[in-house]
Amino acid sequence: MPSTRDIRRRIKSVKNTRQITKAMELVAASKMKKAQQAALAGRPYAQLLADMLAVVAARVDESVHPFLAAREVKTRGILLITTDKGLCGPLNSNLFRLVSEIRTPAKFVAVGRKGTQFLARAKRDLLADFSVSDRTPFAEVRPVVEFMVKQFLAGEIDTIEVIYPRFKNTLVQESLVRPVLPLANVKDFLGHLHAETGITARTDDREMLFEPGAQQVLDALLPFYVNRLMYQFVLSARASEHSARMVAMKTAKDNASKLLDDLTLEYNKARQAGITAEILEISASQMAQSA
Amino acid sequence: MPLTLEIVTPEGCVYSDTVDTVVLPTVQGEIGILPGHLPLLTQLEDGELRVQKGGSMESLACGRGFAEIAGDKISVLAEQAINVAAIDEAAVEKACRRAEEALAQKQSLSAEEAERLEGVMRFAYAQLDLKRRRRG
Repeated sequence: MPSTRDIRRRIKSVKNTRQITKAMELVAASKMKKAQQAALAGRPYAQLLADMLAVVAARVDESVHPFLAAREVKTRGILLITTDKGLCGPLNSNLFRLVSEIRTPAKFVAVGRKGTQFLARAKRDLLADFSVSDRTPFAEVRPVVEFMVKQFLAGEIDTIEVIYPRFKNTLVQESLVRPVLPLANVKDFLGHLHAETGITARTDDREMLFEPGAQQVLDALLPFYVNRLMYQFVLSARASEHSARMVAMKTAKDNASKLLDDLTLEYNKARQAGITAEILEISASQMAQSA
Repeated sequence: MPLTLEIVTPEGCVYSDTVDTVVLPTVQGEIGILPGHLPLLTQLEDGELRVQKGGSMESLACGRGFAEIAGDKISVLAEQAINVAAIDEAAVEKACRRAEEALAQKQSLSAEEAERLEGVMRFAYAQLDLKRRRRG
């Protein structure tokens, strides 16, 4: 049996751990609220944008814009969105598993330090890594999109895909691979999106007017759409990160509390045993004297 | 039959109601939409979006974006939108001056930062213009 002093030392350290995890939980919770709000508020916008794009894309020839044309995929371009810091449960490792499953030639772009480290360790072809601060301003996501689009247009990569943890709710985040470009399969993609959000697609194949013209609208809409969609992915990943961290910290805190209970019980037992032994010694020595 | 108007910005859905007519600020000038309009997809400029509903008129300052008219549903996708009553003139003027000052040192800014500031200014001017016209 360990001495009372050893147990006391352990209790102290577990208490410290509990305090730290509790503080981190609170921090994550407040950040989570903001991030969740941002991610959810942006969804109708992204949805409507995708709908509009579908309307235009259905009415023009796909060869009019390089974003629309399907081409032979030699190298996939994949953006991996991870967190900068750890302590967020299995969030990052779930994403890494998706990356490991990719066997076809692919080039990667990373957002978040964990992803950069993983890709370097796995000896994947990392084109660039970006960091996006915690407030996630759009200005910091834009260079990422611009870089990837440039590579896409130059033919370095033939697709733009995103691997990110989609925010479902505080407890559930799904790791997903989402295609962004080319939009040759915009219909499939929209069907997927509609099934997910539960909104039925509007089927309207009537004649449509475009102002100033279909081509101009498309030219304005497409880059805008890609920017916005990627930004939405980053927001969603941010919300997932803070949710996962909060849950992980809550589990750690609860675990520490349980451990503390067990240790306190053990400590009291040990203390009681010590007292009993002392009384025994005193009374034994008294009896020896009086005898 | 009334029209359904929906204005969505990145911050969420800011307006959703049934209305009689809508005037949109498009890149080719203002257009009025009445029920039964042809399906249309158009690009919007920063400017004033007017909504008429049962005799009363409402005015919103609206940032760049797109509008889609399909049947009796108008979906407006704008970067920003704010009701004229909610515009705080002093705050907008201040924001405008800040953006102007930042833009004065254009060479030290990155291209995307400059573009963002220009966007801020355009929307600020649209708001001020609208506010003053409503009052005067």
